[in-house]
Amino acid sequence: MNTSKPPTMDLQNLNPSSLKSRFATRFLRALTKINAQKPISPSSPTEIFQRYRRIKVAADKSMAYSVRSRRTWSRATLWRLRTRSPRSRLATLARRSSVKTRTTTVVDKTSHGKENKEERGAGLGVEEEELRELVPGGEAMDLCNLLDETAHYIKCLTTQVQVMRTIANLYSLD
Amino acid sequence: MNRALPEMLPCSDMTVLQRQRARLKWQAEQFQQQSYFCELSGVFTSQNVHVQGFQQGGLVSGCGGGDSVLSNMEMTRQLKPDPGLEAAWPELGKVDMGFGSCGYGNGPSFDMNHAISRTSSCPPAVAAAAVEVKGNAEKMGSAVGRESFKKRKVEKLQNSKVVAEDESKRIKASEEEEEESKITGPNTNKITNHKKENSGDTSKDNSKVSEVQKPDYIHVRARRGQATDSHSLAERVRREKISERMKYLQDLVPGCNKITGKAGMLDEIINYVQSLQRQVEFLSMKLATVNPRLDFNIDNLYAKEEFPSCTTNFPTVGMAPEMANHSPYLQFNPIQQVVSGCGVEMGMGMGMNSSDMALRRTISAPVSIPDASFLNTTCFTGPQQQIQPSAPWEVELQNLYNVAFTDTIEESDLKMEM
Repeated sequence: MNTSKPPTMDLQNLNPSSLKSRFATRFLRALTKINAQKPISPSSPTEIFQRYRRIKVAADKSMAYSVRSRRTWSRATLWRLRTRSPRSRLATLARRSSVKTRTTTVVDKTSHGKENKEERGAGLGVEEEELRELVPGGEAMDLCNLLDETAHYIKCLTTQVQVMRTIANLYSLD
Repeated sequence: MNRALPEMLPCSDMTVLQRQRARLKWQAEQFQQQSYFCELSGVFTSQNVHVQGFQQGGLVSGCGGGDSVLSNMEMTRQLKPDPGLEAAWPELGKVDMGFGSCGYGNGPSFDMNHAISRTSSCPPAVAAAAVEVKGNAEKMGSAVGRESFKKRKVEKLQNSKVVAEDESKRIKASEEEEEESKITGPNTNKITNHKKENSGDTSKDNSKVSEVQKPDYIHVRARRGQATDSHSLAERVRREKISERMKYLQDLVPGCNKITGKAGMLDEIINYVQSLQRQVEFLSMKLATVNPRLDFNIDNLYAKEEFPSCTTNFPTVGMAPEMANHSPYLQFNPIQQVVSGCGVEMGMGMGMNSSDMALRRTISAPVSIPDASFLNTTCFTGPQQQIQPSAPWEVELQNLYNVAFTDTIEESDLKMEM
């Protein structure tokens, strides 16, 4: 089906069984840890919300760890997760702004309206910028690498969703 | 190599002859042997001569002037009417076939010719081996003034259509060699004209980027009618890489087959990534609510679960293999499928779909019914940023509930029968 494959997407990186199993193992371990910390049946929505945040962080972290540092998005995710304190939020912003001044294709936010953005030389201004925001670590890449990262990111996200859905299904019925 | 040459001989006589004419004209300017040249051109037009003879003569005359040239020409002229392809040019060595001799003889002189017209060098071994007479003549033709060459363009095109497939491949190989040497040099204009003239026989080959296995550069062929400066070539390479990756993404993202154009594709990709991220968030929320009442036994989990093999499909297919194995879960899956089907077709924001799925699942599950209202509130209050305000929700949800419940029964019947 995929006849035109970018050369960077070798199957070894995305062997479905190994990526899935790595992610599943890590995620389950994190889940058990989270459930062990808290009382079994929390009643308040805020507790549920906190648990939700923790689980989400655990999911992203386990996914990024399963990919190691092979990909820019996983590195960016891990970096982001490691420095998730209010103090380092400034560091994150500083990093982002410095990165944005370096890239030439990222549109200037002070330009008025979407029309200017769409008329940029790259011709893909608005969507490209949105994609950069979506994919972690996408700010510092040119379009070519960004599309590469997006493809790998999509694959990993689908794996993540599948595993989490399976787990959720299994444990919602017992 | 020699075996192929006799086949080339009848076809390429005219072309090489014409090239010879052009080349000799060019050389005549340089060496100013007018009378000598007229004699030669007279000879050219008169007979269908052995190409190699002229070529040799031309080359020799190109290489150096003087008496030795004339004496060589005398020899070749005498050999002209001789149909036998025995080459008797002592200084150039003895070869079996005319073309072979030409090729052999052309080896060293080809290098000189190469040096004359090129800035970079081509290894003589490669030249002798790969480049046939025709390729050689083409190179010489490119060195000639472009106007004279263009006059012969029509004739050459006609002839080149007769040319065999392997010949065009050989030309391509020789062109590629040219290309390698030229891409780094300043002779980019020659590439353009050379390509235009060879468009007849290599037009289909020109339509793709050729990358030669040289370690230093990525070599790109300029297509017909396109600019050939290094900036636009690099730009073209970049654009083609991007389009290649876009095609790959098109396979990855479901439902993108009809969409053409980069902007639309990017929109689809963005939507898909956003929906996946929201699904992750939703599932983690679900795990946060549901899990507390369960004790985790990882061994049990691995025994029970069975991961679906496909990785790129949307929820429905993922559920299919699970269905066969987990009969108590049978209720869920048709709902899942219905909901995801409805969700996708609804055309609403993607955020609504995942939340819809959650509500469906919780509503139909006997165990987690008390969670329904609970999830209603948490879904809205928790990750609020991506979920739309509740008022339009309710109406849509009511419709979906009805649809889901009516379809559920049918779906479950179908699945049971399977």
